[in-house]
Amino acid sequence: MMNDYRTLLYALAVFFSLWAVMSRKLLISAIMLALVSVSVSLIFFDFGAPWAGVFELSVCAGLITVLFVGAVSLIRAEEEKHPESRARFYALPLAAAIFAIAGWFYLPQFFAEIAGWARPGTGSGTIGLALWDMRRPDLLGQVLMLAAGVFVIKSVFPRRSEK
Amino acid sequence: MDKGLLAYLLIPLLSAVLIPFAARARRRLADVIANVTLLAGLANLAWLVLRPSMISGGFADIPGDGLTLLLVGAVYLVGFCVTFFSAWFMEDGTPNRQAYYSLILVSVAAMTGVVSATDFFTLYVFIEVLAVTSFALITTDDSGRGVEGALKYFFLTFPASALIILGISILMLTLGSLSFDNLRIFMASGVPSSGPVTFGAALMLLGFLIKSGVAPFHTWTPDAYQGAYAPVSAHLAGIVTKISGVYALIRMAALLHFFDGRALALSDLLMFLGMLSIAVGAVAALRQKDFKRMLAFSSVSQVGYIVLAAGLGTPLAIMGAIFHLFNHATFKTVLFLNSASLEKSAGTTDMEKLGGMEHAMPWTSWTSVVALLSTAGVPPLSGFWSKLLIILALWQAGLKTYAVLALLFSIVTLAYFMVMQRKVFFGKKSRAAEASAEVSAPLLAPAVLMSALIVALGLLFPYFYTYVRMVAERILI
Repeated sequence: MMNDYRTLLYALAVFFSLWAVMSRKLLISAIMLALVSVSVSLIFFDFGAPWAGVFELSVCAGLITVLFVGAVSLIRAEEEKHPESRARFYALPLAAAIFAIAGWFYLPQFFAEIAGWARPGTGSGTIGLALWDMRRPDLLGQVLMLAAGVFVIKSVFPRRSEK
Repeated sequence: MDKGLLAYLLIPLLSAVLIPFAARARRRLADVIANVTLLAGLANLAWLVLRPSMISGGFADIPGDGLTLLLVGAVYLVGFCVTFFSAWFMEDGTPNRQAYYSLILVSVAAMTGVVSATDFFTLYVFIEVLAVTSFALITTDDSGRGVEGALKYFFLTFPASALIILGISILMLTLGSLSFDNLRIFMASGVPSSGPVTFGAALMLLGFLIKSGVAPFHTWTPDAYQGAYAPVSAHLAGIVTKISGVYALIRMAALLHFFDGRALALSDLLMFLGMLSIAVGAVAALRQKDFKRMLAFSSVSQVGYIVLAAGLGTPLAIMGAIFHLFNHATFKTVLFLNSASLEKSAGTTDMEKLGGMEHAMPWTSWTSVVALLSTAGVPPLSGFWSKLLIILALWQAGLKTYAVLALLFSIVTLAYFMVMQRKVFFGKKSRAAEASAEVSAPLLAPAVLMSALIVALGLLFPYFYTYVRMVAERILI
């Protein structure tokens, strides 16, 4: 039963990501990407990594989707004038199927091998401990990344709309 | 993370956030804020490192491993030259003046983060910030070439990020920690499973090699440098690719040194790719017709020297690598800023159309001569000393073929730069030279400052040698 639930989540994640790449409309792509994040966060919960799940859900499915949807709505009129040809992406499901079959044969051994390398990490405890005591510089990196994202949008979008 | 240097990261970030608000009505204020921020940082660093008591004490009181401080200095120096140059280079009507300066300051903050990180995950986070800002900065020139360069940069460097994070996760899985100190202890103590660690390290090295633009992963560099907005190419070639790729390679190589012969194949591979890069870059530079494109291939070649030395990993080689990294930042900035001046004055960087520019632009010509002689390793300029250290280290380690090849390609470097100097600056006055004039003094100032630094570093080499030796001892012992 547990295994079926996991397989379902994996299948959903793959299905939504394929849809995200193949969709003709950017808005649909953004929503599909959010659904990929939701599936991945459920996988995290299932594997007993609630903090990773919470982050995936709030940051990737929430915040990033809002940013994407905002950006897409800015350039929507332009996009509708020149719809992009997606013909070359029709080969993607085939490639994914070949990868899935190859993975079915090889990946279990690979994961078993990797599990053999494992060594317990030093990090554990509450999320507060992890963020404020152990990984504080990364938070600074995230702040910097957000600032960079805002400036990138400020630098790239006005010019494109002027043209 | 080195907390003593936190201010060098936070202050540019604050200025970057301040610029869009403060410079909304008066656009020129963006130039002032960016320049003052970086100049203040430089003055502070100069006081920290160059005060007499510090020099007379052999730099023993420098905090951390010294490499961080040296590279923060290089980041601020190149950043300041680029923002100062941009303030006069940018046309008044240029859109997004504020966003441009904010992006440069964020990239300076990110580079400070990269060099002051003490574990690989933090390093990775800041490298990603740097990748995002570089992508946007390349598109500042929104001609087709700028966008093409940015896309090539994106498609080659983001898979590199994927390789790095995969390598990091394997190291985390097998060693249980990512901090440089812990990794050093684990590697020296005889890890039970050396295979997975080597595999993880190999993936990370591959990622960093792509980000540094080492052959055969260099295809994105010429397009990105040539297509980027002129001062941005100086920023990218002078410091960004060096920090986001080459610095991490030196870090990795110094760690592998502790792995005590169990990752010899990786070190050998690194040296081989370094040599390949020297050769490919130099031969390709000989055949270029565009000044900026030639400089890009020259960068590929010079990065090869650093990678070759990092792969060798002896204290002398690491000293050479660090010194050459710093030198590369100085001479490549001069050459790229000069190419920007040429573009502004003559309207082209096509070497076939230029000629006799020395008559019209004597200062640009002579700063180019200083920078190119230093790149080729002509004494007594700074580039001579760093190449000498690298070649000596190779010779000492018994790698005589590599030493001789490195020396020979130094001569090829001199050859392609001489061809460039003759085509662009010397010789008969071309039509472009008739129509152009020397750029204004503020545009010349950064190139003159950097050229003076190249001469000074060469002449005052004993002081710099003491500093670099201290760094190599601290990161290798």
